[in-house]
Amino acid sequence: MSKEQAIKVENLNKSFGKGDSFVDVIKDASFVINKGELVALVAPSGAGKTTLLMMLGCVDEPNSGKMWLGDEKVYENKWLTKETRKIRREKIGFIFQAHYLIPFLNVIDNLTLLPQANGVSDKAAKSKARELLKYFDISDKEKAMPSQLSGGQNQRVAIARALANNPEIILADEPTAALDTQRSIDVVKTLKRMALEQNVAVVMVTHDDRMLQYCDRIMKIENKTIVFQSES
Amino acid sequence: MIHLAKEDIRHTLGKFVVTGMGVGMLLGIVLIMMGVYRGMIADAEVLLNDLNVDLWVVQEDTLGPFAEASRIHEDLKYTVKGFQEIDKSEALTFQNLQLPLQLQDKKMAVFAIGYDVYGKINPINQNRLIDGRALQNDHYEIVVTDKTGYKVGDKIELGRNFFTVVGVTSGSVASGGDPLVYVSLKDAQELQFTYANKRVQTDRARGLLNKDAHLVNAVVATIKAGYDVDEVARDLRKWQHKSVYTRAQQKVVLTRNVVEKSSKQIGLFTVILIGVATIIIALIIYTMTLEKMKEISIMKLMGLPNGVIVRMIVEETLILGVLAFVFGNIFAGLIYDKFPKNVLLNAADSSLLFVVVVIASILASFIGVKKVVNADPTAAIGG
Repeated sequence: MSKEQAIKVENLNKSFGKGDSFVDVIKDASFVINKGELVALVAPSGAGKTTLLMMLGCVDEPNSGKMWLGDEKVYENKWLTKETRKIRREKIGFIFQAHYLIPFLNVIDNLTLLPQANGVSDKAAKSKARELLKYFDISDKEKAMPSQLSGGQNQRVAIARALANNPEIILADEPTAALDTQRSIDVVKTLKRMALEQNVAVVMVTHDDRMLQYCDRIMKIENKTIVFQSES
Repeated sequence: MIHLAKEDIRHTLGKFVVTGMGVGMLLGIVLIMMGVYRGMIADAEVLLNDLNVDLWVVQEDTLGPFAEASRIHEDLKYTVKGFQEIDKSEALTFQNLQLPLQLQDKKMAVFAIGYDVYGKINPINQNRLIDGRALQNDHYEIVVTDKTGYKVGDKIELGRNFFTVVGVTSGSVASGGDPLVYVSLKDAQELQFTYANKRVQTDRARGLLNKDAHLVNAVVATIKAGYDVDEVARDLRKWQHKSVYTRAQQKVVLTRNVVEKSSKQIGLFTVILIGVATIIIALIIYTMTLEKMKEISIMKLMGLPNGVIVRMIVEETLILGVLAFVFGNIFAGLIYDKFPKNVLLNAADSSLLFVVVVIASILASFIGVKKVVNADPTAAIGG
């Protein structure tokens, strides 16, 4: 397994509110997640999973600390670039609870939208998209609209979309929440395979303990700090 | 780069086209309103252009027969003709009549012109005559416009007499938009200035002998080549104690005094309709944007630049505006000739509306753009 660093966090803090309404959400979080790893993020509701995910995704700004995505330091007590959206576009892939494909774009356009926004040519973006569709065994659906696909097919397209911009990190927010057990297992196995074969770090928020056995590591938020439960 | 607006429109094509048709009908009404205004201006000038005279002599301190009542003696035409600068002069009457409609128990408002059948100035434009001939006899002949529905040979009862239709014109309208009919000066004077028998009896009992029917509403004249029309008008005003208008002045009277208020009213309606169309487009785009908020949040979360999403909204608004403009033109083209009064559609008005629609669409898109800019990417996370 590659030990190339995908995410590195040092003393990251996040709080909300002021005065009486002040709430610490994440305190002194420090961890490293490497490429090729599937890491589960587990915590009770309201413990700060989404906040952490949004900070790793350069959407929510932490209050202090340091953060690297790949080799690039992106945060040191402030964003080191104004273009956090560009960081997301180039380094991160997102997978959501539902597939959330753009309903008015067909499968291949859903996959090529972000790469094209990154300046990749239409031809190159389509070539990569076709590769991914083949990888996920849905090559025959490239012209289909999301509404014409089954739930499982849509979720596979959504995972393929997350990889279309060659990200270093994939942030998955409860990708199995809307699926039955067997399909959930399939998706998590796919994510694990993808992490290894595509050499990306996958951080997956989940409430489903049955999925944890397929993850390389389990990251918990306990008393506002990050704790790794075990290493498989 | 994928054309998001095109793909979104294709996805909801039916809804988009129907919306465009709806807004288009509104824009069609705007075009019709502009056409009504153009029609009024054109109508106001029909008679002026058909008569093609240089001077209008009317009752002192009045604006002439198109704007207010004017009565002068018919023989003034001879006095005017006596001026060495004058080439031709004739007396004319103008009056509103209610023309009984054939086979219907209704009447149609028309504007009647009385002229000397043997005179040298004929108000009937030969190019407008589509059937029959101009008047040739002093009595009981009438030339009507095709909008009256009468044909050559038909009989029309007016006043105490029956008139025979001898000619039919097309496109002859008065400044108010009423169809024009033409009768001889003598018949017109009888219709306008001769009282009914009972009125005559009453006047006689009162000792009034008001029998002068040799009145007209205006004397028109053309001047000889080489003379300045304004100077001749000034001389006539000086010596004859009448109001005298040149053709240009009469045109101003018609467009400013007669149709100005109507045109302002139409202009205001047009502005309101454009405002309403803008608000409707803005609301449609706002609703369409609201429907896509989840996708917009996802696109923002994935890192798609605001510019790409904003471009989609602005392009959709512009395409909707242009589609509505096209439908508006088609709609206006289909219905403009169904209106009772002249509606003139022209390319200049259409071009102006296009510019207004583009500007209005850009303004209307702001509300959707604001929504995009303020969209929270974290809204994509969670259920």
